[in-house]
Amino acid sequence: MNQPVSSLNLWLALLPATGLIILLVGGSALFVLVQSLGYAPGYGINEFPTLKYYSQLINNPGFGYSVWLTSYYAVVATIIATILGIILALILRKQFKIKPVTQHLYKYPLMVPYLVGIALVVLLFSQSGIVARVALALGFIERPAEFPALLFSHQGWGIIMVYVWKQMPFMTLSIYTLLIHRDPGLDDAAQLLGASAWQRFWKVTLPPLIPGTLSAALICFAFNFGAFEVPFILGGGFPETLPVQSWRLFNDPDYQHRLQGMAIIMFTFVALLVIFWAQYRLVSTRPYLRQSKTQ
Amino acid sequence: MSQSRVANKYRLTSWQWLFLATIGFLWLAPVLPLAIQSLAFQWHWPDLLPEVWWLTAREQTRLPIGWDYIFSPYSHLYEAFVNTLIIGVSVTLITLIICLPAARVLAKYPFKLKPQIELLFSTPLLLPEIALALALLIPFIRLDISGGYTGVIIAQLVPTIPYMIRILTSAYSGVRIQYEEQARLLGASSLQVFRYIQLPLLIPGIIAGCLFTFLVSSNIFLITFLIGQGSIETLPTLLFAKISGGAMDATAAGLTLVVMLPGVLFLLAVERHIQEIN
Repeated sequence: MNQPVSSLNLWLALLPATGLIILLVGGSALFVLVQSLGYAPGYGINEFPTLKYYSQLINNPGFGYSVWLTSYYAVVATIIATILGIILALILRKQFKIKPVTQHLYKYPLMVPYLVGIALVVLLFSQSGIVARVALALGFIERPAEFPALLFSHQGWGIIMVYVWKQMPFMTLSIYTLLIHRDPGLDDAAQLLGASAWQRFWKVTLPPLIPGTLSAALICFAFNFGAFEVPFILGGGFPETLPVQSWRLFNDPDYQHRLQGMAIIMFTFVALLVIFWAQYRLVSTRPYLRQSKTQ
Repeated sequence: MSQSRVANKYRLTSWQWLFLATIGFLWLAPVLPLAIQSLAFQWHWPDLLPEVWWLTAREQTRLPIGWDYIFSPYSHLYEAFVNTLIIGVSVTLITLIICLPAARVLAKYPFKLKPQIELLFSTPLLLPEIALALALLIPFIRLDISGGYTGVIIAQLVPTIPYMIRILTSAYSGVRIQYEEQARLLGASSLQVFRYIQLPLLIPGIIAGCLFTFLVSSNIFLITFLIGQGSIETLPTLLFAKISGGAMDATAAGLTLVVMLPGVLFLLAVERHIQEIN
């Protein structure tokens, strides 16, 4: 039915966009890889190939903790955003008076930089912030120091709050789009057959949403894992998350440390690739998860 | 009986109202203290409201003190605004031109490596911004394009292309190929087919794609910060410089509101097209 098109024309049409991505993304990955393996003539270092920088990394006592912090912030924030997103998407499917305005308003964090979220969190949750002042007025605390250190600590609640604030709308939008393309009759049928609301959610509503939700959640996770400005400003100092750590090493006057920074970046990138590959395998080897994006 | 139960299913339960109210409060209420902070003259611990509002101190400053600084030349707001615009528009136009043909192929023709190509267009979502920026920095310094518009614009193409491809592909899949075939049968040239058939049908998608790409570009911080090497100031880098110390004053609060403006305008003006993003 489609008109025949020569494969040459087809690849010519794809070339500018694919070429640019391959050049810049592939080039970046390759550049980081060879530097992390000891090839950096610009710094007067040429030990290629050596795994020295990776072994230095693994032997660094802060590194394991860095990996843990990075994963912990990313995972906790993604889980919270996903759960809130599912609930909000289910609410948006219903009819209620303020639905039109809600449908617009909930998306505003999607449209503004992460830095806005950081500003809001600092204003509200620092130890002399608005929430601490309200706590004082209500008699819960007497001094700023008594307010829990939500920011600038390794627990990272400030970091997690910013991620959730920004990504809950993204998850809601993704899940809502999956929901409205689904047959609402199934739900009615299940109800008429006597399924409770809880059963309908777990057995009818949720299963077809899983693949789409999983891939949206992985996009959030990947972003959080590689994010810089949020943990840079709101983090609790050394050891910091992997991207912040790599930036600090990159700014080190000692060139050897710069290559260690490159090894961290390579580690981050490969970790994300492995996780995405695992998700791809998981979805493609289990027929009940393979509801594809066309849904 | 069961009829009414089915109808009830489309109304919110009280738990859902509670959830909606909580989320609404948590997500919207923080904007209020931001506005208050930007208008405050002095606001120290432990006051719930500023002890000195601009109104009382208005003999001393023409504008509220935070805003007075923001609108003064010292804040570099004007330069940042112009730079954000220049970079955003350039990135959007370049992305549009290189993505249009690719999106058409992805939407309309089956070919062998299609899944791989689609996967390729999502790799920028996988590559942390810091990896891209630090990797491109040294080659860009060699090529002498860091610290200027060229380097920043080229680097920003990477995170914007996936969104443009998605939106344009979905726009192209709405254009039925039969219309083009009919026009061709009636003797239209390729250029005429593009101008009179494809373009009018694609315009909504193109507008949505451009606006969203502009928005993504105007929200990018790290790439501009590192590739621009401090000499390219945009709205996000300006805000970063203000709040990276981890404290908020009146200026930082006002600046946050200014930085929110493009996104909020987008939300009000073109939000209905956003469905195409997914």
